[in-house]
Amino acid sequence: MSIARFSPFELLLLKSRSQVDTATLLLLAWVLVHRQHVSEGQRRRRLAQVTAQFRHGHELGPVMSIAHSQDLQAIQLAAEVVRKECGTERCLSVIHQAITVATDDGELSLANHYILRFLADLLSVAPMTLNTLFKELTGIPLTTPEDPSRDVYWQTHDPDYHARKAREAEAAERQHQQANARAEQQQRKKQQRHQQKQQKQQEKQQRQEQARQAREHEQQRQREQTRQQEQQRQQQQRERAEREQQRRSRQQDSYHQDSYHQDSSHQERRNRQQRASPPPPDRTTRALSVLGLTPGATRIEVRHAYRRMAQLHHPDRFYSESEHQVALASARFQRIKNAYDYLMQTY
Amino acid sequence: MRDLYQRLAVSPEANDQEISQAVTSCQHSALRQDAEAVFAVAERRETYDTLHDTLSDIGRLRARLGLSHGAHWQGDVANDFSLPPDHAISRHDELVDRVSHAVSLYNRWRRLRGPWLLIAVFAAGAGIGIALGLALCLGLLPM
Repeated sequence: MSIARFSPFELLLLKSRSQVDTATLLLLAWVLVHRQHVSEGQRRRRLAQVTAQFRHGHELGPVMSIAHSQDLQAIQLAAEVVRKECGTERCLSVIHQAITVATDDGELSLANHYILRFLADLLSVAPMTLNTLFKELTGIPLTTPEDPSRDVYWQTHDPDYHARKAREAEAAERQHQQANARAEQQQRKKQQRHQQKQQKQQEKQQRQEQARQAREHEQQRQREQTRQQEQQRQQQQRERAEREQQRRSRQQDSYHQDSYHQDSSHQERRNRQQRASPPPPDRTTRALSVLGLTPGATRIEVRHAYRRMAQLHHPDRFYSESEHQVALASARFQRIKNAYDYLMQTY
Repeated sequence: MRDLYQRLAVSPEANDQEISQAVTSCQHSALRQDAEAVFAVAERRETYDTLHDTLSDIGRLRARLGLSHGAHWQGDVANDFSLPPDHAISRHDELVDRVSHAVSLYNRWRRLRGPWLLIAVFAAGAGIGIALGLALCLGLLPM
Protein backbone atom coordinates (compact mmCIF):
# COMPACT_ATOMS: atom_id res chain seq x y z
CA MET A 1 0.00 0.00 0.00
CA SER A 2 1.43 3.34 -0.95
CA ILE A 3 1.64 6.07 1.62
CA ALA A 4 1.57 8.77 -1.05
CA ARG A 5 -0.99 11.51 -0.64
CA PHE A 6 -3.83 12.10 -3.04
CA SER A 7 -2.60 14.21 -5.94
CA PRO A 8 -4.53 17.40 -6.82
CA PHE A 9 -6.16 15.73 -9.79
CA GLU A 10 -7.25 12.72 -7.74
CA LEU A 11 -8.89 15.03 -5.22
CA LEU A 12 -10.59 16.90 -8.03
CA LEU A 13 -11.84 13.61 -9.47
CA LEU A 14 -13.19 12.48 -6.09
CA LYS A 15 -15.00 15.74 -5.51
CA SER A 16 -16.38 15.96 -9.04
CA ARG A 17 -20.03 15.29 -9.73
CA SER A 18 -19.15 13.55 -12.98
CA GLN A 19 -15.77 11.83 -13.19
CA VAL A 20 -15.90 11.42 -16.97
CA ASP A 21 -16.46 15.11 -17.44
CA THR A 22 -13.53 16.01 -15.21
CA ALA A 23 -11.27 13.55 -16.99
CA THR A 24 -12.36 14.83 -20.42
CA LEU A 25 -11.74 18.35 -19.19
CA LEU A 26 -8.16 17.51 -18.32
CA LEU A 27 -7.52 15.88 -21.71
CA LEU A 28 -8.96 18.91 -23.51
CA ALA A 29 -6.85 21.23 -21.34
CA TRP A 30 -3.82 19.12 -22.28
CA VAL A 31 -4.60 19.67 -25.97
CA LEU A 32 -5.12 23.40 -25.36
CA VAL A 33 -1.80 23.79 -23.58
CA HIS A 34 -0.01 22.50 -26.68
CA ARG A 35 -1.75 25.00 -28.92
CA GLN A 36 0.53 27.80 -30.08
CA HIS A 37 -0.02 31.55 -30.48
CA VAL A 38 -2.88 31.66 -27.96
CA SER A 39 -2.98 33.61 -24.68
CA GLU A 40 -3.90 32.04 -21.35
CA GLY A 41 -7.20 33.94 -21.16
CA GLN A 42 -8.20 32.76 -24.63
CA ARG A 43 -7.43 29.18 -23.63
CA ARG A 44 -9.70 29.37 -20.58
CA ARG A 45 -12.52 31.01 -22.52
CA ARG A 46 -12.30 28.39 -25.24
CA LEU A 47 -12.32 25.55 -22.71
CA ALA A 48 -15.34 27.02 -20.89
CA GLN A 49 -17.13 27.49 -24.21
CA VAL A 50 -16.59 23.92 -25.38
CA THR A 51 -17.45 22.31 -22.03
CA ALA A 52 -20.53 24.42 -21.30
CA GLN A 53 -22.85 21.43 -20.90
CA PHE A 54 -20.45 19.42 -18.66
CA ARG A 55 -21.74 18.56 -15.17
CA HIS A 56 -18.48 18.43 -13.21
CA GLY A 57 -19.33 21.34 -10.91
CA HIS A 58 -15.86 22.70 -10.10
CA GLU A 59 -13.59 25.49 -11.26
CA LEU A 60 -11.56 25.23 -14.50
CA GLY A 61 -8.49 26.91 -12.95
CA PRO A 62 -7.02 23.87 -11.17
CA VAL A 63 -7.51 21.70 -14.25
CA MET A 64 -5.60 24.17 -16.40
CA SER A 65 -2.78 24.37 -13.86
CA ILE A 66 -2.51 20.55 -13.76
CA ALA A 67 -2.39 20.47 -17.57
CA HIS A 68 0.29 23.17 -17.57
CA SER A 69 2.48 21.16 -15.21
CA GLN A 70 2.40 18.25 -17.72
CA ASP A 71 1.57 15.80 -14.93
CA LEU A 72 1.87 12.49 -16.77
CA GLN A 73 0.23 10.46 -14.01
CA ALA A 74 -2.82 12.71 -13.94
CA ILE A 75 -3.17 12.48 -17.71
CA GLN A 76 -2.84 8.71 -17.53
CA LEU A 77 -5.57 8.56 -14.88
CA ALA A 78 -7.83 10.80 -16.97
CA ALA A 79 -7.23 8.63 -20.04
CA GLU A 80 -8.10 5.49 -18.08
CA VAL A 81 -11.30 7.02 -16.72
CA VAL A 82 -12.36 8.24 -20.15
CA ARG A 83 -11.66 4.89 -21.77
CA LYS A 84 -13.54 3.03 -19.05
CA GLU A 85 -16.63 5.21 -19.03
CA CYS A 86 -17.13 6.27 -22.63
CA GLY A 87 -19.43 4.53 -25.10
CA THR A 88 -19.04 4.86 -28.86
CA GLU A 89 -21.12 8.01 -29.12
CA ARG A 90 -19.42 9.71 -26.21
CA CYS A 91 -16.04 8.78 -27.70
CA LEU A 92 -16.89 10.52 -30.94
CA SER A 93 -18.09 13.60 -29.10
CA VAL A 94 -14.85 13.74 -27.08
CA ILE A 95 -12.78 13.56 -30.28
CA HIS A 96 -15.05 16.21 -31.75
CA GLN A 97 -14.40 18.50 -28.78
CA ALA A 98 -10.68 17.81 -28.91
CA ILE A 99 -10.50 18.81 -32.57
CA THR A 100 -12.48 22.00 -31.91
CA VAL A 101 -10.21 22.91 -29.03
CA ALA A 102 -7.02 22.08 -30.94
CA THR A 103 -7.75 24.18 -33.97
CA ASP A 104 -9.91 27.01 -35.20
CA ASP A 105 -8.75 27.34 -38.77
CA GLY A 106 -7.31 23.87 -39.40
CA GLU A 107 -3.79 24.72 -38.28
CA LEU A 108 -2.61 22.07 -35.84
CA SER A 109 0.57 22.38 -33.81
CA LEU A 110 2.96 19.46 -34.23
CA ALA A 111 2.43 18.24 -30.68
CA ASN A 112 -1.35 18.32 -31.14
CA HIS A 113 -1.04 16.17 -34.27
CA TYR A 114 0.32 13.41 -32.08
CA ILE A 115 -1.97 14.11 -29.11
CA LEU A 116 -5.09 13.95 -31.28
CA ARG A 117 -3.94 10.67 -32.75
CA PHE A 118 -3.24 9.35 -29.27
CA LEU A 119 -6.78 10.28 -28.19
CA ALA A 120 -8.17 8.62 -31.32
CA ASP A 121 -6.31 5.42 -30.49
CA LEU A 122 -7.43 5.66 -26.86
CA LEU A 123 -11.09 6.00 -27.83
CA SER A 124 -10.70 3.43 -30.64
CA VAL A 125 -11.60 5.83 -33.42
CA ALA A 126 -10.39 4.52 -36.78
CA PRO A 127 -8.11 6.71 -38.93
CA MET A 128 -10.82 7.06 -41.61
CA THR A 129 -13.34 8.35 -39.08
CA LEU A 130 -10.83 10.79 -37.62
CA ASN A 131 -9.99 12.12 -41.09
CA THR A 132 -13.63 12.68 -42.06
CA LEU A 133 -14.42 14.27 -38.71
CA PHE A 134 -11.46 16.61 -38.98
CA LYS A 135 -12.38 17.61 -42.52
CA GLU A 136 -16.00 18.26 -41.54
CA LEU A 137 -15.01 20.45 -38.61
CA THR A 138 -12.17 22.46 -40.12
CA GLY A 139 -12.66 22.14 -43.89
CA ILE A 140 -9.08 20.96 -44.30
CA PRO A 141 -8.00 17.31 -44.58
CA LEU A 142 -5.84 15.94 -41.77
CA THR A 143 -2.30 15.84 -43.11
CA THR A 144 0.65 13.85 -41.85
CA PRO A 145 2.66 16.00 -39.43
CA GLU A 146 5.85 17.63 -40.62
CA ASP A 147 9.13 16.28 -39.38
CA PRO A 148 11.46 18.74 -37.60
CA SER A 149 14.14 16.06 -37.33
CA ARG A 150 14.87 16.55 -41.04
CA ASP A 151 16.87 19.18 -42.90
CA VAL A 152 14.01 19.89 -45.34
CA TYR A 153 11.72 21.10 -42.55
CA TRP A 154 14.19 23.77 -41.47
CA GLN A 155 14.90 24.86 -45.04
CA THR A 156 11.19 25.67 -45.48
CA HIS A 157 10.56 27.03 -41.97
CA ASP A 158 13.76 28.97 -41.45
CA PRO A 159 14.66 30.37 -44.91
CA ASP A 160 16.26 33.51 -43.42
CA TYR A 161 18.95 31.45 -41.79
CA HIS A 162 19.78 29.63 -45.01
CA ALA A 163 19.85 32.88 -47.01
CA ARG A 164 22.26 34.34 -44.44
CA LYS A 165 24.41 31.23 -44.62
CA ALA A 166 24.54 31.42 -48.43
CA ARG A 167 25.50 35.11 -48.27
CA GLU A 168 28.25 34.38 -45.76
CA ALA A 169 29.59 31.57 -47.93
CA GLU A 170 29.62 33.91 -50.96
CA ALA A 171 31.46 36.62 -49.03
CA ALA A 172 34.00 34.09 -47.83
CA GLU A 173 34.56 32.92 -51.39
CA ARG A 174 35.02 36.48 -52.62
CA GLN A 175 37.58 37.13 -49.89
CA HIS A 176 39.33 33.94 -50.84
CA GLN A 177 39.52 35.03 -54.49
CA GLN A 178 40.89 38.44 -53.54
CA ALA A 179 43.53 36.83 -51.38
CA ASN A 180 44.44 34.56 -54.27
CA ALA A 181 44.81 37.50 -56.65
CA ARG A 182 47.04 39.33 -54.17
CA ALA A 183 49.21 36.25 -53.72
CA GLU A 184 49.59 35.92 -57.49
CA GLN A 185 50.72 39.52 -57.82
CA GLN A 186 53.29 39.04 -55.11
CA GLN A 187 54.56 35.91 -56.80
CA ARG A 188 54.91 37.72 -60.12
CA LYS A 189 56.99 40.42 -58.46
CA LYS A 190 59.13 37.80 -56.83
CA GLN A 191 59.70 36.10 -60.18
CA GLN A 192 60.78 39.38 -61.78
CA ARG A 193 63.28 40.00 -59.01
CA HIS A 194 64.52 36.45 -59.40
CA GLN A 195 65.03 36.90 -63.15
CA GLN A 196 67.08 40.07 -62.60
CA LYS A 197 69.27 38.24 -60.14
CA GLN A 198 69.78 35.38 -62.59
CA GLN A 199 70.89 37.76 -65.33
CA LYS A 200 73.49 39.29 -63.05
CA GLN A 201 74.77 35.86 -62.07
CA GLN A 202 75.07 34.80 -65.70
CA GLU A 203 77.21 37.82 -66.49
CA LYS A 204 79.44 37.04 -63.57
CA GLN A 205 79.79 33.40 -64.65
CA GLN A 206 80.78 34.42 -68.17
CA ARG A 207 83.54 36.58 -66.80
CA GLN A 208 84.82 33.84 -64.55
CA GLU A 209 84.81 31.29 -67.38
CA GLN A 210 86.97 33.43 -69.60
CA ALA A 211 89.56 33.66 -66.83
CA ARG A 212 89.35 29.89 -66.22
CA GLN A 213 89.93 29.04 -69.92
CA ALA A 214 93.13 31.00 -69.87
CA ARG A 215 94.29 29.15 -66.79
CA GLU A 216 93.33 25.75 -68.22
CA HIS A 217 95.55 26.10 -71.29
CA GLU A 218 98.57 26.18 -69.04
CA GLN A 219 97.43 23.30 -66.87
CA GLN A 220 96.52 20.95 -69.75
CA ARG A 221 100.06 20.00 -70.47
CA GLN A 222 100.74 18.96 -66.90
CA ARG A 223 97.49 16.99 -66.74
CA GLU A 224 98.25 14.79 -69.75
CA GLN A 225 101.23 13.41 -67.95
CA THR A 226 99.31 12.45 -64.86
CA ARG A 227 96.23 11.11 -66.73
CA GLN A 228 97.71 7.74 -67.56
CA GLN A 229 98.39 6.96 -63.91
CA GLU A 230 94.89 8.09 -62.91
CA GLN A 231 93.18 5.84 -65.45
CA GLN A 232 94.65 2.75 -63.86
CA ARG A 233 93.54 3.81 -60.40
CA GLN A 234 89.98 4.63 -61.55
CA GLN A 235 89.51 1.21 -63.10
CA GLN A 236 90.30 -0.47 -59.79
CA GLN A 237 87.88 1.76 -57.90
CA ARG A 238 85.03 1.12 -60.34
CA GLU A 239 85.31 -2.64 -59.94
CA ARG A 240 85.18 -2.38 -56.17
CA ALA A 241 82.09 -0.11 -56.27
CA GLU A 242 80.23 -2.53 -58.56
CA ARG A 243 80.78 -5.43 -56.21
CA GLU A 244 79.52 -3.42 -53.26
CA GLN A 245 76.37 -2.31 -55.09
CA GLN A 246 75.41 -5.87 -55.91
CA ARG A 247 75.66 -6.87 -52.27
CA ARG A 248 73.52 -3.94 -51.12
CA SER A 249 70.73 -4.56 -53.65
CA ARG A 250 70.46 -8.19 -52.50
CA GLN A 251 70.00 -7.05 -48.87
CA GLN A 252 67.33 -4.51 -49.79
CA ASP A 253 65.25 -7.11 -51.63
CA SER A 254 65.05 -9.36 -48.61
CA TYR A 255 64.10 -6.40 -46.35
CA HIS A 256 61.26 -5.36 -48.67
CA GLN A 257 59.74 -8.83 -48.55
CA ASP A 258 59.79 -8.84 -44.76
CA SER A 259 58.11 -5.47 -44.40
CA TYR A 260 55.38 -6.46 -46.87
CA HIS A 261 54.53 -9.50 -44.77
CA GLN A 262 54.26 -7.38 -41.64
CA ASP A 263 52.00 -4.83 -43.34
CA SER A 264 49.52 -7.35 -44.65
CA SER A 265 49.18 -9.11 -41.28
CA HIS A 266 48.57 -5.72 -39.62
CA GLN A 267 45.81 -4.87 -42.08
CA GLU A 268 44.11 -8.20 -41.54
CA ARG A 269 44.06 -7.65 -37.81
CA ARG A 270 42.49 -4.19 -38.26
CA ASN A 271 39.80 -5.59 -40.56
CA ARG A 272 38.93 -8.25 -38.04
CA GLN A 273 38.62 -5.61 -35.29
CA GLN A 274 36.24 -3.56 -37.43
CA ARG A 275 34.08 -6.56 -38.13
CA ALA A 276 33.95 -7.58 -34.47
CA SER A 277 32.89 -4.12 -33.21
CA PRO A 278 29.38 -4.37 -31.73
CA PRO A 279 26.40 -3.01 -33.75
CA PRO A 280 24.76 0.24 -32.53
CA PRO A 281 22.92 -0.61 -29.30
CA ASP A 282 19.85 1.47 -30.04
CA ARG A 283 18.66 -0.83 -32.81
CA THR A 284 18.69 -3.82 -30.50
CA THR A 285 16.81 -1.83 -27.85
CA ARG A 286 14.28 -0.71 -30.41
CA ALA A 287 13.78 -4.23 -31.71
CA LEU A 288 13.35 -5.47 -28.13
CA SER A 289 10.82 -2.76 -27.35
CA VAL A 290 8.83 -3.71 -30.46
CA LEU A 291 8.52 -7.16 -28.91
CA GLY A 292 7.65 -5.58 -25.56
CA LEU A 293 10.89 -6.63 -23.86
CA THR A 294 13.44 -4.72 -21.83
CA PRO A 295 17.15 -4.76 -22.75
CA GLY A 296 18.88 -7.85 -21.42
CA ALA A 297 16.17 -10.33 -22.39
CA THR A 298 17.36 -13.84 -23.19
CA ARG A 299 17.00 -15.60 -26.53
CA ILE A 300 14.22 -17.80 -25.18
CA GLU A 301 12.26 -14.81 -23.90
CA VAL A 302 12.62 -13.17 -27.30
CA ARG A 303 11.23 -16.27 -29.00
CA HIS A 304 8.30 -16.54 -26.59
CA ALA A 305 7.50 -12.82 -26.95
CA TYR A 306 7.67 -13.12 -30.74
CA ARG A 307 5.23 -16.07 -30.78
CA ARG A 308 2.80 -14.25 -28.55
CA MET A 309 2.98 -11.02 -30.57
CA ALA A 310 2.72 -12.89 -33.88
CA GLN A 311 -0.45 -14.65 -32.72
CA LEU A 312 -1.89 -11.36 -31.50
CA HIS A 313 -1.16 -9.34 -34.62
CA HIS A 314 -1.39 -11.94 -37.37
CA PRO A 315 -3.29 -10.48 -40.38
CA ASP A 316 -5.45 -13.62 -40.65
CA ARG A 317 -7.08 -12.73 -37.36
CA PHE A 318 -8.50 -9.58 -38.93
CA TYR A 319 -9.83 -11.37 -42.01
CA SER A 320 -13.44 -10.89 -40.93
CA GLU A 321 -12.95 -7.15 -40.38
CA SER A 322 -12.26 -4.46 -42.95
CA GLU A 323 -9.53 -4.64 -45.53
CA HIS A 324 -7.91 -1.62 -43.90
CA GLN A 325 -7.61 -3.47 -40.59
CA VAL A 326 -5.90 -6.37 -42.38
CA ALA A 327 -3.44 -4.00 -44.03
CA LEU A 328 -2.64 -2.34 -40.69
CA ALA A 329 -2.23 -5.71 -39.02
CA SER A 330 0.12 -6.93 -41.71
CA ALA A 331 2.22 -3.77 -41.30
CA ARG A 332 2.40 -4.40 -37.56
CA PHE A 333 3.20 -8.06 -38.14
CA GLN A 334 5.97 -7.12 -40.54
CA ARG A 335 7.48 -4.79 -37.95
CA ILE A 336 7.40 -7.50 -35.30
CA LYS A 337 8.89 -10.06 -37.68
CA ASN A 338 11.69 -7.71 -38.74
CA ALA A 339 12.54 -7.07 -35.10
CA TYR A 340 12.59 -10.81 -34.39
CA ASP A 341 14.75 -11.60 -37.42
CA TYR A 342 17.22 -8.91 -36.42
CA LEU A 343 17.38 -10.16 -32.83
CA MET A 344 17.90 -13.76 -33.94
CA GLN A 345 20.85 -12.62 -36.07
CA THR A 346 22.51 -10.62 -33.33
CA TYR A 347 21.77 -12.69 -30.24
CA MET B 1 9.71 12.68 -36.48
CA ARG B 2 12.67 10.58 -35.44
CA ASP B 3 14.49 10.44 -32.13
CA LEU B 4 17.84 11.91 -33.17
CA TYR B 5 19.27 11.46 -29.68
CA GLN B 6 18.62 7.75 -29.81
CA ARG B 7 19.95 7.45 -33.34
CA LEU B 8 23.15 9.34 -32.45
CA ALA B 9 23.41 7.36 -29.17
CA VAL B 10 23.64 10.45 -26.93
CA SER B 11 21.46 11.42 -24.01
CA PRO B 12 18.89 14.22 -24.53
CA GLU B 13 20.60 16.21 -21.74
CA ALA B 14 23.98 16.16 -23.48
CA ASN B 15 25.68 19.54 -23.95
CA ASP B 16 26.47 21.08 -27.34
CA GLN B 17 30.03 19.82 -27.42
CA GLU B 18 29.07 16.19 -26.89
CA ILE B 19 26.35 16.48 -29.49
CA SER B 20 28.59 18.02 -32.11
CA GLN B 21 31.14 15.29 -31.43
CA ALA B 22 28.47 12.62 -31.93
CA VAL B 23 27.24 14.33 -35.10
CA THR B 24 30.68 14.53 -36.68
CA SER B 25 31.44 10.91 -35.84
CA CYS B 26 28.13 9.72 -37.34
CA GLN B 27 28.66 7.37 -40.30
CA HIS B 28 25.27 7.88 -41.95
CA SER B 29 25.67 10.95 -44.18
CA ALA B 30 21.94 11.77 -44.53
CA LEU B 31 21.39 11.46 -40.79
CA ARG B 32 24.46 13.61 -40.17
CA GLN B 33 23.10 16.36 -42.42
CA ASP B 34 19.71 16.32 -40.65
CA ALA B 35 21.29 16.32 -37.19
CA GLU B 36 23.54 19.25 -38.18
CA ALA B 37 20.49 21.18 -39.37
CA VAL B 38 18.67 20.61 -36.08
CA PHE B 39 21.48 21.02 -33.59
CA ALA B 40 23.38 23.87 -35.27
CA VAL B 41 21.00 26.58 -33.97
CA ALA B 42 19.94 26.80 -30.33
CA GLU B 43 16.34 27.80 -31.12
CA ARG B 44 15.87 24.82 -33.41
CA ARG B 45 17.15 22.48 -30.76
CA GLU B 46 14.72 24.03 -28.28
CA THR B 47 11.78 23.50 -30.63
CA TYR B 48 12.90 19.97 -31.31
CA ASP B 49 13.35 19.23 -27.60
CA THR B 50 9.83 20.43 -26.76
CA LEU B 51 8.30 18.12 -29.32
CA HIS B 52 10.69 15.35 -28.28
CA ASP B 53 9.48 15.61 -24.66
CA THR B 54 5.83 15.54 -25.70
CA LEU B 55 6.40 12.50 -27.89
CA SER B 56 8.31 10.69 -25.14
CA ASP B 57 5.35 11.37 -22.82
CA ILE B 58 2.92 10.02 -25.40
CA GLY B 59 5.13 6.97 -25.93
CA ARG B 60 5.13 6.27 -22.19
CA LEU B 61 1.37 6.78 -21.96
CA ARG B 62 0.81 4.43 -24.87
CA ALA B 63 3.04 1.80 -23.31
CA ARG B 64 1.15 2.01 -20.02
CA LEU B 65 -2.28 2.00 -21.63
CA GLY B 66 -1.40 -0.85 -24.01
CA LEU B 67 -1.65 1.33 -27.12
CA SER B 68 1.87 0.91 -28.52
CA HIS B 69 0.51 -0.91 -31.58
CA GLY B 70 -2.33 1.50 -32.34
CA ALA B 71 -3.57 2.30 -35.83
CA HIS B 72 -2.42 5.91 -35.46
CA TRP B 73 1.03 4.99 -34.15
CA GLN B 74 3.03 4.09 -37.26
CA GLY B 75 6.29 4.83 -39.00
CA ASP B 76 9.31 6.64 -37.57
CA VAL B 77 7.48 7.87 -34.47
CA ALA B 78 6.35 4.40 -33.49
CA ASN B 79 9.81 3.00 -34.18
CA ASP B 80 11.68 5.55 -32.10
CA PHE B 81 9.30 6.49 -29.29
CA SER B 82 7.73 3.13 -28.40
CA LEU B 83 8.83 2.04 -24.95
CA PRO B 84 8.73 -1.36 -23.35
CA PRO B 85 5.84 -1.67 -20.86
CA ASP B 86 7.12 -0.73 -17.41
CA HIS B 87 4.59 -2.80 -15.46
CA ALA B 88 3.16 0.31 -13.81
CA ILE B 89 -0.14 -0.44 -12.13
CA SER B 90 -3.27 1.15 -13.59
CA ARG B 91 -3.72 4.61 -12.09
CA HIS B 92 -7.45 4.15 -11.71
CA ASP B 93 -7.06 0.90 -9.77
CA GLU B 94 -4.48 2.61 -7.58
CA LEU B 95 -6.88 5.45 -6.88
CA VAL B 96 -9.65 3.00 -5.96
CA ASP B 97 -7.23 1.14 -3.67
CA ARG B 98 -6.20 4.34 -1.98
CA VAL B 99 -9.75 5.53 -1.47
CA SER B 100 -10.81 2.20 0.00
CA HIS B 101 -7.81 2.29 2.33
CA ALA B 102 -8.77 5.79 3.46
CA VAL B 103 -12.36 4.68 3.99
CA SER B 104 -11.32 1.70 6.13
CA LEU B 105 -9.09 3.96 8.27
CA TYR B 106 -11.97 6.37 8.73
CA ASN B 107 -14.37 3.59 9.70
CA ARG B 108 -11.94 2.20 12.26
CA TRP B 109 -11.56 5.64 13.72
CA ARG B 110 -15.34 5.99 14.08
CA ARG B 111 -15.68 2.53 15.57
CA LEU B 112 -13.08 3.24 18.24
CA ARG B 113 -14.93 6.42 19.06
CA GLY B 114 -11.94 8.47 18.10
CA PRO B 115 -13.26 11.78 19.45
CA TRP B 116 -13.80 10.34 22.96
CA LEU B 117 -10.32 8.86 22.90
CA LEU B 118 -8.92 12.24 21.96
CA ILE B 119 -10.76 13.97 24.83
CA ALA B 120 -9.55 11.35 27.33
CA VAL B 121 -5.91 11.82 26.23
CA PHE B 122 -6.27 15.58 26.51
CA ALA B 123 -7.80 15.34 30.02
CA ALA B 124 -5.03 13.05 31.22
CA GLY B 125 -2.38 15.47 29.93
CA ALA B 126 -4.08 18.40 31.67
CA GLY B 127 -4.30 16.50 34.98
CA ILE B 128 -0.60 15.67 34.98
CA GLY B 129 0.22 19.30 34.21
CA ILE B 130 -1.91 20.59 37.12
CA ALA B 131 -0.38 18.09 39.54
CA LEU B 132 3.14 19.17 38.57
CA GLY B 133 2.19 22.83 38.99
CA LEU B 134 0.81 22.24 42.47
CA ALA B 135 3.90 20.35 43.50
CA LEU B 136 6.07 23.26 42.36
CA CYS B 137 3.94 25.80 44.23
CA LEU B 138 4.08 23.87 47.52
CA GLY B 139 7.84 23.51 47.25
CA LEU B 140 7.75 19.73 47.37
CA LEU B 141 10.23 19.37 44.57
CA PRO B 142 13.91 20.02 45.27
CA MET B 143 14.76 23.12 43.24
